[in-house]
Amino acid sequence: MISVEKHHFNWNKVGIIALIIFVVLIFIFPIYWMIITSFKSDADILTRPPTWWFKPTIKNYIHAFKHANFGLFMVNSLIVAVTSTIIVVCLSFLCAYGFARYNTVGRDQFMFFILSTRMFPQIAVVIPYFVLFRNFRLLDTRIAMIILYTMFNLPFAIWLMHSFIKDIPVDLEEAARVDGYSRWRILRKIILPLVAPGLAVTAIFCLLFSWNEFLFAFLLTRTRAATITVGVSSFWTQRGILWGPLCAAAAVCVIPMMIFVALLQKYIVRGLTFGAIKG
Amino acid sequence: MKRENKISKFTEKYFPYILEAPALIIIFILALFPLFYALRMALHETILTNPGSHPFAGLNNFREALNKDPMVWYSLKNTAIFTVSAVSLEMVLGCAIAFLLNRKIKFQGLVRGLLLLPMACAPIAVGLVWRYMYHPDFGVFNFFCSALGLAERNWLGDVSTAMLSLVVFDVWQWTPFIIFVVLAGLQALPGEPFEAAEVDGASRWQIFKTLTFPMLAPLLIFVLILRTIDALRFYDPIYALTRGGPGTTTETITWYLYKIGFKFFNMGYASSIAFIFLYAVIILSAVLVAVLKSFSLEEGG
Repeated sequence: MISVEKHHFNWNKVGIIALIIFVVLIFIFPIYWMIITSFKSDADILTRPPTWWFKPTIKNYIHAFKHANFGLFMVNSLIVAVTSTIIVVCLSFLCAYGFARYNTVGRDQFMFFILSTRMFPQIAVVIPYFVLFRNFRLLDTRIAMIILYTMFNLPFAIWLMHSFIKDIPVDLEEAARVDGYSRWRILRKIILPLVAPGLAVTAIFCLLFSWNEFLFAFLLTRTRAATITVGVSSFWTQRGILWGPLCAAAAVCVIPMMIFVALLQKYIVRGLTFGAIKG
Repeated sequence: MKRENKISKFTEKYFPYILEAPALIIIFILALFPLFYALRMALHETILTNPGSHPFAGLNNFREALNKDPMVWYSLKNTAIFTVSAVSLEMVLGCAIAFLLNRKIKFQGLVRGLLLLPMACAPIAVGLVWRYMYHPDFGVFNFFCSALGLAERNWLGDVSTAMLSLVVFDVWQWTPFIIFVVLAGLQALPGEPFEAAEVDGASRWQIFKTLTFPMLAPLLIFVLILRTIDALRFYDPIYALTRGGPGTTTETITWYLYKIGFKFFNMGYASSIAFIFLYAVIILSAVLVAVLKSFSLEEGG
């Protein structure tokens, strides 16, 4: 079927392009289907076979925001994600700079230890957290979620920031030292501006992870501090699943993150491999 | 002169500790304290529905989990089946698609941008959408199946397809990650050896076997480790898609832990299983890291 010639492949170009289009369609189809379904009326959702052409309605979105506390959950997610991200980015920047530039005692061991905490299965650590938060009356509070997401994202952020700071040549700092800059001033005036893109990338990843997190939020909150992912799952009610509002809520949850990730395209591999592979 | 040097060295030594301390203290408190607390619970009969009395139980919880509870092994087996099938499918498909995309094509940015999207989605949100797509009556999968002349199925409700449906979901969400890593690896390959091989008239398969694959191997093993650890923790989509069912067909260790801890509130027993699970994860990652080291990854992962 495939005859290989000296220097070019005999697959014709059209075939390859068709294959690529096919692959892309498969991967975006569920997202397309979610968005389409969110604009369908109940009658169009519950038909067999599924309808492809229908009269769009925004009823599901209205229902989604009226249902339970979906609006509040979204605000909770924003507050929790943004607050923990700010804390994580500040602390991880300082810590990563220390690790990148100074060989402190046990540095490598610490680096691996903190990475391993990130690798813990969440379900295994959520049990002691549940009992601890219960004893401290922190269940179902935003503070508890902020604490958890800070802990959860710090190791990742330190590793990622570390890889960005490593990219900055040391010469600049040495030159500044010769000019009499103090260490804090070097950090503020030289490193900070240079590592700004890295800070932004780290921040977006932290936002993404906190926003998408479900297990902690589901098990440690109930009504007051629940986040958007819990909100989406709440459309699976005792009386069945409200498919239309569910898809609307899912779209609201997913679309901002898709935009973020599209902006991150250049850094996605780097972020998801903790800075190890510079895509 | 010497003394001044000593003083500056002293402050030099302290500066990084000041920078590192806040983050490390937070991680230590928030990661280690719960772990000790969990150990304490595992050694007691910590059942939250019995308020007040949590008598010391020694290693009873561990003994029960390892010797008397067939569900522990059964759910670990399910976790293994899920992890192996999902991760290997992702690796194979991800590599294949990366090779497909590794050429100059129009709209490359668009293609890559679209392929990124599944990874951005909250697993619970898209998982629930997939539940609709798997629906035996209104689902779009059965529509495609009947259009292609295949039998319609109750994907999530059938013992024979429930696990497969979870695997397909995970493959959909995480294959793009492998694609992007492999593409990054392919683009970082040096040009000369490949040109030399082509001049020597090596076949594509020979080039792949002797050049491309060995050069990519450390990278592949590294993402294999990351994906394996993630797949072991797989929870959200189970909640969205099968909730362990039908029966206990898709009860992985994470789901079983959730059931013991948050349905029966037997936190002591759940903690002891969590430790066994944690131990298994640590052993497994140590093995994988040892394999990785034997391939000497230069980028320092």
